[in-house]
Amino acid sequence: MVLAKYIGRKVAWTFVVLVVALLLNFLLPRFIPGNPVDAIVGQIAAGGGTGGEQLQQIHEHFMTEFGLDKPLWQQFLIYIGNLLHGDFGTSFGQYPASVSHLIGQALPWSLAIQVPAIIVGWVVGNILGALAAFKGGWFDRGAFVGSLFLSSVPPFALAIILLFLVAVQMGVLPVGGAYSFGMTPEFSMTFFGDAITYFWLPFWSLVLVFIGGQAVGMRSMAVYELGSDYVNYNRGLGVRDSKTVRYIFRNAMLPQFTGLGLSIAALITGGLIIELVFSYPGLGTLLFNAIGQNDYPVIQAITLIITLAVLIANFTVDILTGFIDPRIRAAQSGER
Amino acid sequence: MGTLVDARNIRGVYYSGGTDVVAVDDVSVKIEEGEVLGLAGESGSGKTTLGSIVALIARPPLHVEQGSLEIDGKVQELGGDAQVPRTWRGAVVSMLPQGAMNSISPTKRIRHLVYDVMRSHDRKVSKDEALDRARQRITTLGLPARVLDAYPHQLSGGMKQRTVTIISTLLNPRLLVADEPTSALDVTSQKILIEMLLEMLEKKIISGVIFITHDLPVLRTVATNIAVMYQGRVVERGPTEMMVDNPQHPYTQALMSSVLAPEPKYRKTRIEGMSSFDRSLFDAPAVIH
Amino acid sequence: MSLRGLPPRFWVAAALVAFILLVAVVGPFVVQTDPNATVGGLYDRPRCCGALLIGTDNEGQSVIANLVYGTRTSLIVGLVAGLIATVIGLLVGLVGGYRGGWIDDVLTAITNVGLAIPAIVVIILVSVSLPKRNIYTLALVIGLTAWFWVARAVRAQSSSVRTREHIDVARLSGAGFWSILLRDVLPYLLSYVVMAFVLQVSGAILFESTLSMLGLGPANAVSLGTMLYWAIAWGSVRTGAWWAFVPPTLMLTLIVFSLLLLQSSLNEVFNPRLRRGRATRKKAVAKGKEDEEPIDVGEPEPVGAVGMLETPTSSGREHR
Repeated sequence: MVLAKYIGRKVAWTFVVLVVALLLNFLLPRFIPGNPVDAIVGQIAAGGGTGGEQLQQIHEHFMTEFGLDKPLWQQFLIYIGNLLHGDFGTSFGQYPASVSHLIGQALPWSLAIQVPAIIVGWVVGNILGALAAFKGGWFDRGAFVGSLFLSSVPPFALAIILLFLVAVQMGVLPVGGAYSFGMTPEFSMTFFGDAITYFWLPFWSLVLVFIGGQAVGMRSMAVYELGSDYVNYNRGLGVRDSKTVRYIFRNAMLPQFTGLGLSIAALITGGLIIELVFSYPGLGTLLFNAIGQNDYPVIQAITLIITLAVLIANFTVDILTGFIDPRIRAAQSGER
Repeated sequence: MGTLVDARNIRGVYYSGGTDVVAVDDVSVKIEEGEVLGLAGESGSGKTTLGSIVALIARPPLHVEQGSLEIDGKVQELGGDAQVPRTWRGAVVSMLPQGAMNSISPTKRIRHLVYDVMRSHDRKVSKDEALDRARQRITTLGLPARVLDAYPHQLSGGMKQRTVTIISTLLNPRLLVADEPTSALDVTSQKILIEMLLEMLEKKIISGVIFITHDLPVLRTVATNIAVMYQGRVVERGPTEMMVDNPQHPYTQALMSSVLAPEPKYRKTRIEGMSSFDRSLFDAPAVIH
Repeated sequence: MSLRGLPPRFWVAAALVAFILLVAVVGPFVVQTDPNATVGGLYDRPRCCGALLIGTDNEGQSVIANLVYGTRTSLIVGLVAGLIATVIGLLVGLVGGYRGGWIDDVLTAITNVGLAIPAIVVIILVSVSLPKRNIYTLALVIGLTAWFWVARAVRAQSSSVRTREHIDVARLSGAGFWSILLRDVLPYLLSYVVMAFVLQVSGAILFESTLSMLGLGPANAVSLGTMLYWAIAWGSVRTGAWWAFVPPTLMLTLIVFSLLLLQSSLNEVFNPRLRRGRATRKKAVAKGKEDEEPIDVGEPEPVGAVGMLETPTSSGREHR
């Protein structure tokens, strides 16, 4: 029952935040002075290659799509309605490509790097930190200093360094892109084998920084737990070390979960920049190009996706923590 | 009634940074079957340190330089590099720590700890057996069985302390070392806890108790004998009544006189307090009754 | 807090920060070249000495000049944004935590929503919509989106200070609301505020470089992030023109690293408890989101868990 209430609260809260985020996503770009459609059409015209009649069509298309002639609240409802249909609008820069199409192409690449990186980074980082705390000695010293350094390096910095050293100087791994020139994406072993070489550097750049951060955090938590009363009491009762270690690990992991929720935004952002460095055709590069072309629909869609990802991640983390730590769901529902 | 525990020549030192602090200075203590030995003294007297050494849980920066413990004819060396067998803890000597609040991991239910304790001493015990035994013990001693399914934060302070007391004695240890068990409790809970301890003694769940406290009035109600410690030594030891009414050692006298007991005969007595005594007197040789 | 008691880590961090400040403040005078002046061709190799010390970038401009001016820009953005974020967060946290009541509820709700929405998203959306992008508007935007966690943490601290006795004394003696806040509550939080500020500066510098790399950087000034933007856009990495991207990367890493080191050493100085590993567990964990500064380790003392459990080793645990 306590758990149900807790989950209910989390759902309600996430919904509220989602609404605010949608409002922001919708309103902020509309603060551009002047009529955005005119500006965009002007740009397309300046780019050359489109005649007067075509421009007229484009202009009309966007006017109806945005509904700029209608009051603001109606525009918002149109926006929400479109979103629910999966319609993110039409791209400015790559007219008439639909935004969902562009995103559909780029998203899998981003996910391929970020999801494994987050999972591997979290698991390996925590294990490393726990080991360092338990073993002590030189292992601890080395791991700690190394992790501290890795966690302080901005992800893109590591990406650039790795790119330079491994790809350019040593030539071991490819310099950019997601797959070799001439290949087309498909579900085949050859393609996969090729794409994987392009995958390593971006993946490792993201993972190493995350491992560093997790290891440092986990180590301090484990050290902290080791000094706890219950560890001492367990020992006093003759409980085997292996059992006590399980208690310690479980308690030390808790703040790591919440920490994960907080770092998700930074991780995603870092991942996007890393894509830029490696010319990886994910959302990062798409965003980069869109900004260059003032392609507002694409930019809006990407920011919305980022927000959704962060909200979902935080929600999941909160629910998991509620499962693991009984005090949290008790505290949240005012049991004590 | 024979001797239950014979602790001999215990010397415990804290190694910290530059200075070494001798917390327990060549202390020998005997406890009889069925006895509750009250260990009293001010903060820093070494009573908790002695308790943790006897309970076999001393750890760095505390080092036991020398000492031995004899229980049921078995002698265990405590000093230097002596390895204390893990199974002695909890089963031969057990510890009831101060502040039971944090003694149980907050993310596990009580029954998990119970099972782990039992399993660590007997690999063959099944979960059901362990929980049954625990349930029996709990209800016999007056607590509701639902305690097993609770998380620590769901229990009140007094209940937690009693639950921890039961867990500490699950394996029927010969000696229970209780470190300030009543300090964090209200008076009613104190009484209930003390009654539980005495009941355990009576039912032979435990055979002896070292009751460490700075709370002298409590000792009067629970201890058969009292040993007073000062700066790492036992300065006086004897039956409770004698220690309270007729202390011989200057330090004990100072200690007892600083207690305010709401009884008629104390109406006319002044509370002198420790400071009115000359501290150099406290170094007088120990008096053992 | 004597100077000698400060851990070695602090001095290393302080030295690094001092070096960076030196580069930013004095650098432009030492390197007499104008960063926008063309001094060479496309990606000329480094040559001793002077303007071509680290070669040229994609527009033939001196890299070392850009580096020095870029450091200055990045630092300015970081400091201004950090200041804005810290001040706003401090005010909101102080007022909400101390005042309580509906003011607190409203402020907390705003703070929580702000925390839940990723700042980078808001920053991108706002920057894209801005007609003009210069250092100060960027700093403003970054600062306005970063104050939330400071507010949350300050609020927690100030609401616990509220119950202390010296506050009652101040109130009884007729001190006004703001007077109490500034003179009785704030001093307790000062150490925390300093650490928060350092973290904010480092975070703001990272934000700025992220924005610049995406192409949303300041239009009129060179920053370390914009240097990287051009380096990537012109493929300097692929052609191996390391002098175009390695210096700004190293400089950025150095700045972030030294600021984080400074913060963690300050943490150790202000909270000696963290060094020993045994302290009362704060209920912060039970509140869900852990947004206080990451629990720092203190000295990298080799701690053996094995020692904690069975065999004796050296450990820092205090024994009663």
